[in-house]
Amino acid sequence: MEEKPGQDRIPDTPLFDRKRSLGGYRINKMAMGLSRPENREAFKQDESTYLDRFGLTPEEKEAVMTRNWREMVRLGGNLFFILKISAVDPVRITEIGAHQAGMEHDDFLRNRLGKKV
Amino acid sequence: MAQLIGGLGTSHVPSIGAAIDKGLRDTPDWKPFFDGYIPGQDWVKAHKPDVAVVIFNDHGNSFFLDKVPTFAVGCAEEYHPVDEGWGPRAIPPFKGAVDFSWHFIDTLIENRFDPMICQEIEVDHGIQVPMELFWDRPAEWPVRVVPIFVNVIQYPIPLPSRCYEMGRVLRQAIESYPTDERFVVLGTGGLSHQLQGARAGFVNPQADQAFLNDIATDPDKLAGMSREQYVEMFGSEGAELMMWLVMRGAMDRDVVVRHKHYFVPASMTGAGMIVMENKATASPAVAA
Repeated sequence: MEEKPGQDRIPDTPLFDRKRSLGGYRINKMAMGLSRPENREAFKQDESTYLDRFGLTPEEKEAVMTRNWREMVRLGGNLFFILKISAVDPVRITEIGAHQAGMEHDDFLRNRLGKKV
Repeated sequence: MAQLIGGLGTSHVPSIGAAIDKGLRDTPDWKPFFDGYIPGQDWVKAHKPDVAVVIFNDHGNSFFLDKVPTFAVGCAEEYHPVDEGWGPRAIPPFKGAVDFSWHFIDTLIENRFDPMICQEIEVDHGIQVPMELFWDRPAEWPVRVVPIFVNVIQYPIPLPSRCYEMGRVLRQAIESYPTDERFVVLGTGGLSHQLQGARAGFVNPQADQAFLNDIATDPDKLAGMSREQYVEMFGSEGAELMMWLVMRGAMDRDVVVRHKHYFVPASMTGAGMIVMENKATASPAVAA
C-alpha cells in the first residue's frame, strides 16, 4: 500500500479507512493474536516464526521486527492493535508517539504534551 | 417508571487504570487528576443509581476487524474484563441489567436503530476506567451496567448526530421501563488525543474546555459537527468524544452542571469529567 503525499485530508493524521484496514489486516491480526497468553509466549520464543503464521510480507515483518512504529502505521497497522506488541516487548506509548512524530522523547513530552521535563 | 437521574462524562484512558493498578494514585503526576474526580464520586454515592448505561468503544479487544458493529448493545448477565495483552485486570466483573438491555434493544429497533446484540462479551478499559473513576474500586460493583459499544476506529464511523439521536431513544427506553430504578448514563472517551501519524501527541486544551462547556449548554452545535471536524479539533482518536453525545441526547435541553474537571495530559490525552442533571428534576444542590 503506497501512501501518497497529501492523501490525508487532515495533515499527518492517518484515518483508519478501507484502504488502510485492507492493507494492514495481516499486521493487525498478528497483533490481535497477542491478546492470548500462548501467542505472547510464541512471539517471545521465536518472533519470526510467529509473524509467519499470519503471512506478513517481508516489508511488514521488517517493520515489526525493527519496532518501526511509523512504518507499521504507514503499512496500515492500527495503534490499538499494534500496541499489544508493547505488552510483550515493553515500550511507553509516549515513545511510540515520539517515534511517529520524529522527535526525541523529552521534546515530545515538552512540546506536544506540555509536560515539564 | 424508571428515571434518569444524571448524565456523566469522562475520559477512559488505559493509563488511568494502569496508574490505579500500580498504586500511583497519589504520585505528583496523578494526584491532581484523581482528586478532580472526588466530587463525581461523592455525587454517585449521594444519588445511588441502580443502573449505569455506559457508552464507549472497544479498542481492538472484544472485536477484531473481521466483524465491526457500528453500534452494539450488551445484554449479558455478566461482563468480565478482557485480556488486552497484559492479562485481564483484577477488577470485579460487571453485573448486567439484562432485562433493561433487551427493552432498550426493542426500543432501538422500533426507532430504526439496528444494533448488534451481545449476550456474551468481555469488556476493556473503555468501560472499566469510567466505572473505577466514579465508583472507585469496590469489592463488588453497587450498580448494574448496560454497555453500548460504538465503532469509532474503523471508518466509516457513525455521524455525531446519529450518536445524539441514539441518546433520545435511550431516554425513551428508560422512561418506558416499568420499574422504579434510577439510571445514570455515562458518555466516555476523549478528550483531545492522537496516537497515530506524525501529528501523534496532539492535544487541544482550549477545544477541550470549550467542549466541556458546550456539552452542557449547546449540544446541538456539537451534534451538528462533522466527523472530520472532530478529528481536526480533537485528534484522530479524540474524535471518539462524539460518544458523549449519546449521553447528552438522553438528557433534557436544559441541564445543571454539578461538577466539572479537566486535566492534561493524562498519558497522551486531555482528560475531562462532567456531572449533569436535568434542570427540571435536579436534586437540591448538595453542599460541597
